[in-house]
Amino acid sequence: MKKEGVQRKPVSRDDRIFDAVVLTVLFLLMLCFILPFMNIISLSISDQYAIMRGDVHFLPKGFNLASYEKLLHTNVVLHSYGNTIFIAATGCVLSLLMTALAAYPLVFAQFRLQKLYSIFIMFTMWFSGGMVPTYIVMSRYGLVDNMWVLILNSLISAYHVLVLKSFYASIPQSLVESAKIDGANDFRILFQIVIPLSKAALATIALWVVVLHWNDYLNALVYMRSTENYTLQLIMREMVLSSEVSSMFDVANLDRSAISDQLKNAVVVFVMAPMILIYPFFQKYFVKGVMVGAVKG
Amino acid sequence: MKQLSPLVRDWRKNRWVYLMMVPVAAYFILFKYIPMGYLAMSFYDFKLLRGFSGSKFVGLKHYVNFFSSSSFPTLLVNTVVFNFWAIIVQSLAPIVLALLLNEVRKPGLKKAMQTISFLPYFVSTVVIVSMLNNFLSPSTGMLNNLRKSMGLETVYYLGLPQYFRGVNYITGVWQMMGWNSVVYISALTAVDQEMYEAAMVDGASRLQRLWHITVPSIRMTIAIMLTLQVGNLFAANVEKVLLLQNDLNLSVSELLPTFVYKQGLVNGKYSYATAAGLFTSVVSCLLVVLANWGAKKISSSEMGVF
Repeated sequence: MKKEGVQRKPVSRDDRIFDAVVLTVLFLLMLCFILPFMNIISLSISDQYAIMRGDVHFLPKGFNLASYEKLLHTNVVLHSYGNTIFIAATGCVLSLLMTALAAYPLVFAQFRLQKLYSIFIMFTMWFSGGMVPTYIVMSRYGLVDNMWVLILNSLISAYHVLVLKSFYASIPQSLVESAKIDGANDFRILFQIVIPLSKAALATIALWVVVLHWNDYLNALVYMRSTENYTLQLIMREMVLSSEVSSMFDVANLDRSAISDQLKNAVVVFVMAPMILIYPFFQKYFVKGVMVGAVKG
Repeated sequence: MKQLSPLVRDWRKNRWVYLMMVPVAAYFILFKYIPMGYLAMSFYDFKLLRGFSGSKFVGLKHYVNFFSSSSFPTLLVNTVVFNFWAIIVQSLAPIVLALLLNEVRKPGLKKAMQTISFLPYFVSTVVIVSMLNNFLSPSTGMLNNLRKSMGLETVYYLGLPQYFRGVNYITGVWQMMGWNSVVYISALTAVDQEMYEAAMVDGASRLQRLWHITVPSIRMTIAIMLTLQVGNLFAANVEKVLLLQNDLNLSVSELLPTFVYKQGLVNGKYSYATAAGLFTSVVSCLLVVLANWGAKKISSSEMGVF
């Protein structure tokens, strides 16, 4: 970079054109990424008649927050928000704990079954029972229409174990060895040495798990039956995309015609906002995490 | 006692590690391996309430029915064609983005643009489909308003089979482009800077440097990432396909994974759907193994990027 500065002087005309083209293309791409969000936010706060006329593009026409106020008084929406927060938070904590446990024996021990244990975990990355057998087994466990099924089904992912394993491998073995000589058992080493040193990798996995749970639609669709167990994505689909009249609206005291375009878009903004707001803070961690995952190739 | 001693020593040394593996192993057995065992359902007329002992063993009946059904060839073609173009389009887009970002000389601007490019990755499929509904709506959608103002008739994009794949690819590129470019951006930071300096001394323009130094130096990464994608030829973003599927576009939008979902969990034909699902996962698994083997070959054939 420094070198570049020194060389900056004889910038040719070609170079300037090149720069201009690159920046223009990138600028247009950035607009493609941002404008759909501006559109949906504008629709959620614009005047209802302007929306119906198709006048609202990327900036709001008129301004009212009536739909957001309505959302805050709609119990089904708030209840599903609570459900999703419960699933994402509990799922995140338990997944981190289990993934940390699962990866430890792969790196910090030499034992007879190590190779087998590694294959036992990694095999689930290549092959799975699939949707229907998993559903049948979950129903035998009595987990259909139970929020725990969403947490348990994705509790440990072999991919996350792999990412954490690569991170563990960068921790100096000597730290672990000396703790062992001091008589610490493996659980103490895991919780007092390894986990505190793995915060960056764990933050990446935490973000992945939270986003996975927050945005999951298919599993919720398969397993959730009663409205009280509905997650945000299911409620949002019912309110925004469903063309049939659903029983949910009776529960919500919302009749179908009352779901205006403004309200639909307010729901979408309300649902996506938390993920959009948190990810920039995790960026420096997950960029590294994605790399570790890809390198394994 | 003397013969046992290595085992005993192993246990003494590693008992805490073995203890640690108990919950992990229990989880994988209960939630991953037992469902794999239930793939045997495809050889039975499985009854949910009776289990295997109360269900009739029918051998390959469901497989014969599936492979000889009129929908099988359509499903196979739909799935492979859909994924083939998805892989091509969605693999190339991140490379272009990475190359463009690599040419941005202000690190702050580059990072800000990268942050923006991640934005779509963090929204759910339902949100994306809602955005599509807004944008493509025949009555109030922006695209159709534009067509109207140009004197063209309105088009119901989400209902016409010929637009189904295009809509999927565009949203796929939009959502994954930024995220998938990370690998290439990292590979680009490892390119030897001296090569650029040498090229500058020789009077190579920016475009020449891009084409003769930058692109060749990440070609291994590109080859490996493309090869790994072969494993996705039978997979699909079931969520998105299901949400964009309707009676009007079913002729192209019914793919193997959505067929399995509908037959099994909507129509309750558990055994038949499991047979179709097992076929899909076995082919997928073979493709993944093949892809990994190919990627390994590529990375060992020359001085590996990794």
